[in-house]
Amino acid sequence: MEKVEVAETVHYPKKSPNKFLQFLKQCGKQHALLVMTIPFLIWLFIFKYLPIWGWTIAFQNYRPSKSFAEQEWVGFQHFAFLFEDERFLRVLRNTLAMSGINLVLGFVTAIALALLLNEVRVVVFKRVVQTISYLPHFISWVVAAGIVQQTLSPDGIINELLLRFGLIKEDILFLGIGEYFWGIFGAAHVWKDVGWNTIVYLAAMTMIDPAQYEAAEIDGAGRIQRMWHITLPGIKSVIVVLLIMNIGYLLESGFEPQYLLGNGMNVDYSENIDIFVLKYGIAQGNFSLSIAAGMFKTVVSFILLFAANNIAKRLGEARLY
Amino acid sequence: MKRKTPVYVAAMLVLVLALVITGCSGNNSGGTTTNNNSSTTTPSNSEGGSDEKPLEKVTFTYFNGAGAAKDINTNETTIGKILEDQTGVNFKIENLVGDLNTKIGTMTASRKYPDVLIPDAAIDEVLGAEGFIDLTDLIEEHGPNIKKAFGNDLERLKTEDGKLYYLPMSAQVGEFIPDPNIGQGAFWVQRRVLKEAGYPEIKTIDQYFQLVRDYVKNHPEEDLTGFIALTHDWRFFATTNPPMHLAGYPNDGEVIVDMNTHEAKVYAANEDTKRYLKLLNELNAEGLFDKSSFIDNYDQYLAKLTSGKVVGFFDYGWQIGNAQNVLTDAAKADPSQDDFVYFPLPVTFDGQKDQYLDPPSFVKNRGIGITISAKDPVRIVQYFDNLLKEENQILRGWGIEGETFEIDENGRYYRTAEQIAKIDESFRESFGFKYYDWNWPIYATSSTLSNGNAAAPGVQPEVFQMSLTEADKTILNAYGAQTYAEMFANPDERPWFPAWGIPKEQGSPEQLYETKKTEITRKYFPKLVLEDPSKFESNWEEYLSEFNKLDTAGYEAFVTAEVKKLVEEAK
Repeated sequence: MEKVEVAETVHYPKKSPNKFLQFLKQCGKQHALLVMTIPFLIWLFIFKYLPIWGWTIAFQNYRPSKSFAEQEWVGFQHFAFLFEDERFLRVLRNTLAMSGINLVLGFVTAIALALLLNEVRVVVFKRVVQTISYLPHFISWVVAAGIVQQTLSPDGIINELLLRFGLIKEDILFLGIGEYFWGIFGAAHVWKDVGWNTIVYLAAMTMIDPAQYEAAEIDGAGRIQRMWHITLPGIKSVIVVLLIMNIGYLLESGFEPQYLLGNGMNVDYSENIDIFVLKYGIAQGNFSLSIAAGMFKTVVSFILLFAANNIAKRLGEARLY
Repeated sequence: MKRKTPVYVAAMLVLVLALVITGCSGNNSGGTTTNNNSSTTTPSNSEGGSDEKPLEKVTFTYFNGAGAAKDINTNETTIGKILEDQTGVNFKIENLVGDLNTKIGTMTASRKYPDVLIPDAAIDEVLGAEGFIDLTDLIEEHGPNIKKAFGNDLERLKTEDGKLYYLPMSAQVGEFIPDPNIGQGAFWVQRRVLKEAGYPEIKTIDQYFQLVRDYVKNHPEEDLTGFIALTHDWRFFATTNPPMHLAGYPNDGEVIVDMNTHEAKVYAANEDTKRYLKLLNELNAEGLFDKSSFIDNYDQYLAKLTSGKVVGFFDYGWQIGNAQNVLTDAAKADPSQDDFVYFPLPVTFDGQKDQYLDPPSFVKNRGIGITISAKDPVRIVQYFDNLLKEENQILRGWGIEGETFEIDENGRYYRTAEQIAKIDESFRESFGFKYYDWNWPIYATSSTLSNGNAAAPGVQPEVFQMSLTEADKTILNAYGAQTYAEMFANPDERPWFPAWGIPKEQGSPEQLYETKKTEITRKYFPKLVLEDPSKFESNWEEYLSEFNKLDTAGYEAFVTAEVKKLVEEAK
């Protein structure tokens, strides 16, 4: 669509009324397409824009039983409560740290696995590896957290192994040591999602023209060189777009794994914004505080997304818009 | 192709419009159907019992925030079926899965409730959201048996403006009969431990831990766990409460209330708590404490109790019911398994008088209410009223004569050995005992019927003695007791009991205090217990400095004032 537009504007002198006419004319031409987008616009409006009205709750002492006109308005009180609370800074740190770990580990492992799988020529082996690595993705976190807990428990397999190899002298209560939590969280995430994350990269790799590989082979490039000079640049645009999108979700470090694996001992490292909101917002019936935290998250995510997109633009890379 | 597109487009538009219209009008149509429902059913109500015409059958939704049973329709159980025949009302019971506050929060935010709601600990939230309807007039009009059973309790539950939003779960009717079993807190120990030690008298916490210690040391080959604690989620109080009991007080929640001055004191950071944690810390240093206690969830905890590998623990009888039932069932099938059944001990710090048993209590902040979404509150109140008739209380407690209980020539109710054997967990479910033994407005377990029998078979002496196995009798005889409760001291009268039942407003400083207090204890208790004994003092100092940031004095002042109010009321 974009290409057509560019091609046609070339023929006309750049005058705004003409451009507007041109726009209408194009709309006329593409009316079928435009009409088809209407349902999605309606959906978008109802589910993504209408709820923004609910942000007003953040500035009230919201009580569900009262009507909008009866609510008590308190200005920025709930935001003040958030930012003055030392725990909020801690949960913010945890959120960012865990998302960061997730982002980096997720990308590196998925790309590495995709590269390796792409090189595997035995189809059966490739399929088996793919299936095995996808499987954990379909387990719910409740079950996955149970598995992690069992594995790391004092009589679990990790402790058994470490003891047998003489690496430790007594059982370690892995989930009881706050400092370990981010690592456990990152590893659990990789185990659960690495296979799933490779799909998009594998798909991108199939788009690369095989002629390039042949040419490189004739020029004497080895496997590593082909991976480095052809495969990676070939999927670069996909990586960048995914990176930008994920940066937008940097404040969404997830909820279930932290909630299920968290306990009193690792709370300093496991509690993230979502759990904080649950504890002090929803659990206390303080919806206003929850909304305030949600607004904060949205605004920060928005800024991050724009920043990442801008950087990509400057680097001359693919971008979202 | 091109010419055809508009047709598709038009078709799509129509579809979308249809969707939007039906989607938006969904609420309205729902509203009208409910109106229809109530309008068709009201006539039959006004006629009441005078007309013999069978009542139209209705199903109401019922959400139980305190439940842990299978979701079920009440008319799928024998009791529920009989009650449906009487009233035409069936309840579709949904039990809580997951987090209570999230579930209730969703209800209050959307203002869509089940017809009948037991919000358990989240009751303040529902009240704050005005989710319940006022029952005063309904009970006045349709609830003679409700009024009779609860009497003055209803007045005590009324809000300041004279409204009644929920009914308490249990009404004390007739004479007070104490529960022979231990539903409340105790330090539990495997029976084989007492047997091996020759049934010694265990009065102090030191004796208790020594008992555990000796047993584990004498049986190194069994890979036993000495002591575990329940810490999961809101059940964490099972780990924070023992100091209160050890000091000789009943479960007043966050506070110890002085018997003379009625001053409420938070004990979470006092010497009692320090002493208890120090003991656990020593136990842990000896390798007798299960480190996973602070990580395990409730299911894992119960699984450990049923494994037979855990020697002792502190908990409330009602929390370990599932595990203890499995163990006693196994012991009934195979007497040698009796070794693994847990026996409750009234342990205190220095052997002072214990107060584990609940005094007669009135819980103000728990109950069952009818919500603003209820389609037909009148039918629900009538159902409650019908349930509170004495014959239905016999049905719900004892079952059907000749089937689940017998009456002897003196009019005493009893159960035969076969009946007792028949009534196991799965029978309780299918017959409905399980669904009607709590969570409805019913007679309290300690109530008596007008003919002098106990309302609950479990406290009827004939039934209790009958239900004991030979092994049960042996161990009770060894301690010179007829019932488990006799092991414990009688409860003193405390008109404010339980102090945890004092309602706190949603989002109030008191509520925030409790949340923060729990968070701090949750964080420091594991540290205090699990780290090296040499670090105990410094950890305790750290905990204190963190704890002192809270407004404990303000909280205590609030509870003290409420306690004094209740003492005045009771005079």
